[in-house]
Amino acid sequence: MSGAEDQYLVALAAGSQDTAAFGELVRRHQSQVRNFLRKLCGDFTAADDLAQDCFLHAWNKLQTYSGTGSFIGWLLKVAYTTFLQSKRKSKRYKEILESAGHTADAEGKSYTLGSEDVSDLEKLLAVLGEEERAVMIMSYALGLSHREIGEATGLPVGTVKSVIHRGKEKIRTSFDIKDYKHG
Amino acid sequence: MTSKIINMADKLRDTEDQLLEAIFQSESIADDGFSKRVLTRIRRGIWVRRLALPIAMIIGGSIAVKPLSQLVTAGTQLMMAVPQDLLDIPASWIPQAQMLILGAVLFAIGMFSVRMIED
Repeated sequence: MSGAEDQYLVALAAGSQDTAAFGELVRRHQSQVRNFLRKLCGDFTAADDLAQDCFLHAWNKLQTYSGTGSFIGWLLKVAYTTFLQSKRKSKRYKEILESAGHTADAEGKSYTLGSEDVSDLEKLLAVLGEEERAVMIMSYALGLSHREIGEATGLPVGTVKSVIHRGKEKIRTSFDIKDYKHG
Repeated sequence: MTSKIINMADKLRDTEDQLLEAIFQSESIADDGFSKRVLTRIRRGIWVRRLALPIAMIIGGSIAVKPLSQLVTAGTQLMMAVPQDLLDIPASWIPQAQMLILGAVLFAIGMFSVRMIED
């Protein structure tokens, strides 16, 4: 997946409203965006709906992509903003969480842990705040650099590093990840 | 000794990062028609935007045509009622004035429609 090809496709899509070029961009990046939102939401269906909204917003705002950073960084910024907006808009959000048996705290933790059959990742994500979760997913699941995470979240690189450090600290105090076995 | 400690710390950090990467890792999600659904929504949006303005103009025009014609008639009668020497304009100007009023009203309707669509 080359950045230059992305830039070319963005230029085509933004310049001449080429939906085919944008379709190629969607195909290239849908996995990362959906993965990010699925981990962030914990609900696959809601995450995929948000991913669709994210790509629609990206299409409408394609002119605002300056081309200086990576396209995936910009796309994840749109995805994160879409997630936050939908969360703010959804008045039922809290009710759903409560009915799922989750104890949300003031820091914005919102990961559902209603079922006993939860993965290690879900357990880890549940102890993190919303911002930490987004940053940790971008770093460890998507392999983004600190600079790219900064672009996506609007945080300075130094803050990204400290958020990751804080997240790891929380995970460390809650779990003994040394016991984790691959696969 | 110090460098050994630093190396050890780095190694530990790396191991922890690798473990976290292993926990966070997930398989690539298959497209399964996702991009097609996105493109369908985008194309639908483009068509809606393309059709919205002409449709709004037609609807707005059809609603406005009756009061507009009444307005033009009233305006013409008013022009006729005013003594000619008071106006001191050639009679040939009156149809042009009607056209100007009509143009201004249509322009206002058009601008209003565009603003409504943008909102």
